[in-house]
Amino acid sequence: MTSTSVRAEFPDPVRTPPAPPDRSRLRSFTLPMSFLAPAAILLGVWLLYPAVATVVRAFFDDRGEKFVWFENFDRMFSDPVIHTAIKNNVIWILVAPVAVTSLGLLFAVLIERIAWASALKIVLFMPLAISLFAVGVIWRIMYRDDPSQGALNAGLKVAHDSFSQEGVLPAARPSSDALTDRFVFTRQLSPGDTALMGLTAISESAVPAGAVQAADPESKSGAITGVVWRDFSPGGGEPGVVESGELGIPGVTVNLLRGSDTVQSATTENNGSFEFTGVSGSGYQTQIASKTFAQPYKGVNWLGESLITPSIIIAFLWTSVGFAMVVIGAGLSAIPRDVLEAARTDGGSEFQIFRRVTIPLLMPVLTVVFVTQMIGVLKIFDLIYAIAPGSVQNDATTLAFEMWKRSFSGQNKFGFGAAIAAFLMLLFLPYLIYQVRSQRKNA
Amino acid sequence: MRSRHWGLLFALALALSVIAAGCGGDDEEGGGATTGAAAAENISGSLSTVAVWTGAEAKAFQQVLDGFKDKYPNVTVKYKGAKDPGQVISTAVQGGNPPDVAALNSPGLMNDFVDQGALKPLEFARGVVAKNYNPDWVKNGVVNGKLYGFFFKGANKSTVWYNTHAFEDAGVEPPKTWEDLLSVGDTLKNSGVPAYSFGASDGWTLTDLFENLYVRQAGPAKYDQLATHKIPWTDQSVKNTLTEMTKVFKDPDNIAGGIQGSLQTNFPDSVTAVFQTQNPKAAMIFEGDFVPGVVAGQTQAKPETDYNVFTFPSVAGKGADYVVGGGDIVVMFKDSAAAKALIRYLASPEAGEIWARQGGFSSPNKNVDVSVYPDEITRTTAGALAKAATFRFDLSDLQPSEFGGDAMFTDLQDFMKNQNVDATAAQLEKDAAAAYK
Amino acid sequence: MATAEVTQPALRTRSMGSLRHRIANAPVNFFLAFIGILWLLPAAGLFITSLLPPAVSNAEGWWNVFKKPSELTFDNYSQMFDNEQITHALLVTAQVTIGATVLPVLFAALAGYALAWIDFPGADLVFVTIVGLMVVPIQMALIPMFTIYNKTNLYDTVLGLILFHTAFALPLGIFLLRNFFIGIPRDLMEAARIDGASEWRLFFKVVLPLGLPAIAALAIFQVLFVWNDFLVGFVLAQDNTPIAPTLAGQLRQFGSNLDVIAPASFFSAVIPLTVFALFQRYFVQGLLAGSVK
Repeated sequence: MTSTSVRAEFPDPVRTPPAPPDRSRLRSFTLPMSFLAPAAILLGVWLLYPAVATVVRAFFDDRGEKFVWFENFDRMFSDPVIHTAIKNNVIWILVAPVAVTSLGLLFAVLIERIAWASALKIVLFMPLAISLFAVGVIWRIMYRDDPSQGALNAGLKVAHDSFSQEGVLPAARPSSDALTDRFVFTRQLSPGDTALMGLTAISESAVPAGAVQAADPESKSGAITGVVWRDFSPGGGEPGVVESGELGIPGVTVNLLRGSDTVQSATTENNGSFEFTGVSGSGYQTQIASKTFAQPYKGVNWLGESLITPSIIIAFLWTSVGFAMVVIGAGLSAIPRDVLEAARTDGGSEFQIFRRVTIPLLMPVLTVVFVTQMIGVLKIFDLIYAIAPGSVQNDATTLAFEMWKRSFSGQNKFGFGAAIAAFLMLLFLPYLIYQVRSQRKNA
Repeated sequence: MRSRHWGLLFALALALSVIAAGCGGDDEEGGGATTGAAAAENISGSLSTVAVWTGAEAKAFQQVLDGFKDKYPNVTVKYKGAKDPGQVISTAVQGGNPPDVAALNSPGLMNDFVDQGALKPLEFARGVVAKNYNPDWVKNGVVNGKLYGFFFKGANKSTVWYNTHAFEDAGVEPPKTWEDLLSVGDTLKNSGVPAYSFGASDGWTLTDLFENLYVRQAGPAKYDQLATHKIPWTDQSVKNTLTEMTKVFKDPDNIAGGIQGSLQTNFPDSVTAVFQTQNPKAAMIFEGDFVPGVVAGQTQAKPETDYNVFTFPSVAGKGADYVVGGGDIVVMFKDSAAAKALIRYLASPEAGEIWARQGGFSSPNKNVDVSVYPDEITRTTAGALAKAATFRFDLSDLQPSEFGGDAMFTDLQDFMKNQNVDATAAQLEKDAAAAYK
Repeated sequence: MATAEVTQPALRTRSMGSLRHRIANAPVNFFLAFIGILWLLPAAGLFITSLLPPAVSNAEGWWNVFKKPSELTFDNYSQMFDNEQITHALLVTAQVTIGATVLPVLFAALAGYALAWIDFPGADLVFVTIVGLMVVPIQMALIPMFTIYNKTNLYDTVLGLILFHTAFALPLGIFLLRNFFIGIPRDLMEAARIDGASEWRLFFKVVLPLGLPAIAALAIFQVLFVWNDFLVGFVLAQDNTPIAPTLAGQLRQFGSNLDVIAPASFFSAVIPLTVFALFQRYFVQGLLAGSVK
């Protein structure tokens, strides 16, 4: 049987006690003390004392003068913003570590197969070298709502537009009551009638090229004629009337309806005019085809209140997956070859081997990665600070963020902040116990 | 083995020397030691100052400080700019290390500091201040009968900036009444460009609109009552103004980026949206006389050719010449002869004129000669600011900072989304009551 | 538990050259290439943004630059180097990083060695406590240390930042190093002791050099972490903030920030990236050696 754990260079240490020292008792006390002293002082002053002091501080008021029992905790738990913060913390814990570890595992496994693994590792790891604040700024830019500014929505728009086209005049509205909201000319038409279909909310530059002065349609027997034009003159003009200077809109599809059937279709000329010939009877209506107004794809509202937390989590994944992948990859490569060979000769598909042999062997590494992520996720501050716009800060907040906000953003509510910190520490306790336990087991 | 030993020592030595170098020069020097008479040469010391001005503004203020140095050559003044001076100074005060002199961007913050006992009164400068500022301005620096601050830099917020080309294309003129403005907004939309741009992610852009409408609709007296929370936010006058605001919000197609986009746009980007050369996204922006500074920094638009300004219109015929404005209020944390000299200097028209010449600055000091402003537009807005018959300070800046700097923003941002007048008024009142407790 | 075998890191052989494997590789290559591009995109965007004047980078997306490459400019970078606040911040960051790397390595090595090889009562308890301390978040220390720093004039000093980071690096550092040191073969230690070496000499001449992989890992980790720190510098410093909080402080009230933040972020990422690229082998090795048994 081969060893079943991952290690580096030294053999598995079997710790036998050193020979009893033949030194004076004093020496055997001062020696370890002198080695431990610097660390002990730093740890005592910077970690142990503050941890206790913060908990104590939580029982005093914001100015630190009055002892107020549990009032700070009461304030904390009755604050709806804190509720959101706790909810977000839960989401982070449930989603982020799993995502990071599984993606890390996936990439680590796949990356073994390619020749340029080293280069890709640097690419994937690089985000860790960038300050989390800068990472936040990068992603903030990418999440911009407008597809002409935000990279993500731009990409989505390109994908979306390959399936459906935005209309020629997406923002246009009827210029008067002559058209309904669905761009149907309200008056029923018979041959010889004209339909004036005016549109506004179109900028001059949005009018398709080649447009000329709109033509006032003339009545023609046996036909229904009309015009689609940009019904706007400086100052507003007179809606519903074709005025000098108003351009027709070419290339628009107009449907001739009877009842609910489209009987004919026509396309407007450069002066916006259209004509349906060979028409008899009555009860016709004209409509500008809806595809003219197909709204441009607006992208996804990444920074809106519903998606802000997932968006920040995505940015976090960008930084952490590289780390997970590198660590898991090293763990993978340390699995002795013979184990896998043995499993292969025993018969079994790659996938079975992966599931039954590789993963269990990797468990220690996976656990380390997973637990580190869980701890790290609870502390995140810079990403939220940099990515969330002011309007959604209360939707993106977490306990760590709220702790900073109440204490150091100018509010100076140190009692409240300490209470949040103390509560946060409580959330860390499970990991603390886990660490201690696993250490005891290994010792 | 020996080499490794040396290597370690060397590394240690290097590290220690680097640390030592770092520790050497970063002690901040506090208030000045002064002796002697008031002769300028006898006043010496070192002062630290903090304000919100960074980048180009910091450079301009440095020139103002240079002017001070000319007069008092033995005083050195260090300046630090911070985006949120309240936060920085609060923390410093907490730590027992406040700056000597600072310019706060809201009187509400000044009130907080007076409550904490952190500020020194400026009674010695009463004369200078009274001589140079209109009573409406002076009174905003007075707390409990004592003068604690005065305004060095002001901002006229009763201005509306517009893209001249968009207006031409739509064939509209700058409106004089609010009702006209709404109809101009519709015409602009019909011409193919949305009318309004909001940097709603910076909530103060919304509070500014509220304040301009409120002072005109409800009148200056009610404004003062609301500002001191003598009437609740559920008062009908508040609801009327909120209703007025819905007239702007109800058509998201007429706002650059729609409601959703606006809530993610910060103020500087909302300015760019109006004045960018290619495809401006809106025609107008309601904001103060600091807009040209942003335009100059981020777009290529030129004054009068590409952009211009009109004063915030009257509502129901009232308040055409009311000015709502803001300003940076100079306060003193540590007393010393040097600090007092700096205070007197900043309150004089001379200090303001130095910056005024650079542009991007309005002085509320009525004795500043408007001809030193670099262009016509600034002369008008700055003149209106300093000489307005009825001036009211930005209401959100007068509130305790946890309301006026935080909750009020969130409430109006939510209002922009849901446009529910009653719910918003109730929430505003709840948050205000909590802050005033 | 495991047997006392000498296991060498398994040789990573490339997948065997069977045709089947090669074909199966193609989709993997494509997929990973796609992932690689996806991963580079945000940083590439930042880089290009740092080369665009603010009027352009605010108005439209950076990918439009490919249509008009003439707009690229190094102005943002040269302005950054003129910006005293930024250059000062970079210097502070360097000082804090060096200090907060050397000190933890030294102190953790000392403590780790003591816990591994010096038998004294309570050693186990001490170690378990330290392991527990690994979990304590910075948030627990901020409020009290803020008050203490102000009283002891450590506020806004490089030394204050160094000490804070050093303290917080110790739990993990001691954990790693102690676990690594325990693996030193007994005979080596015995031999050196018999030679009459004092504990100090033993430490500096035998233990430290042997511990180099774990030390390297710890050092690299500290460099990455401290260089990019935001919260500690944000709270405990004012004029002497390291680079990340300084960037946050550059956000202007009435101006956009991209022309300052983009080049500074990019530039400040160069150091940690270089460190990682050069030493990545040690990094993973050391981490694994220490943490997984």
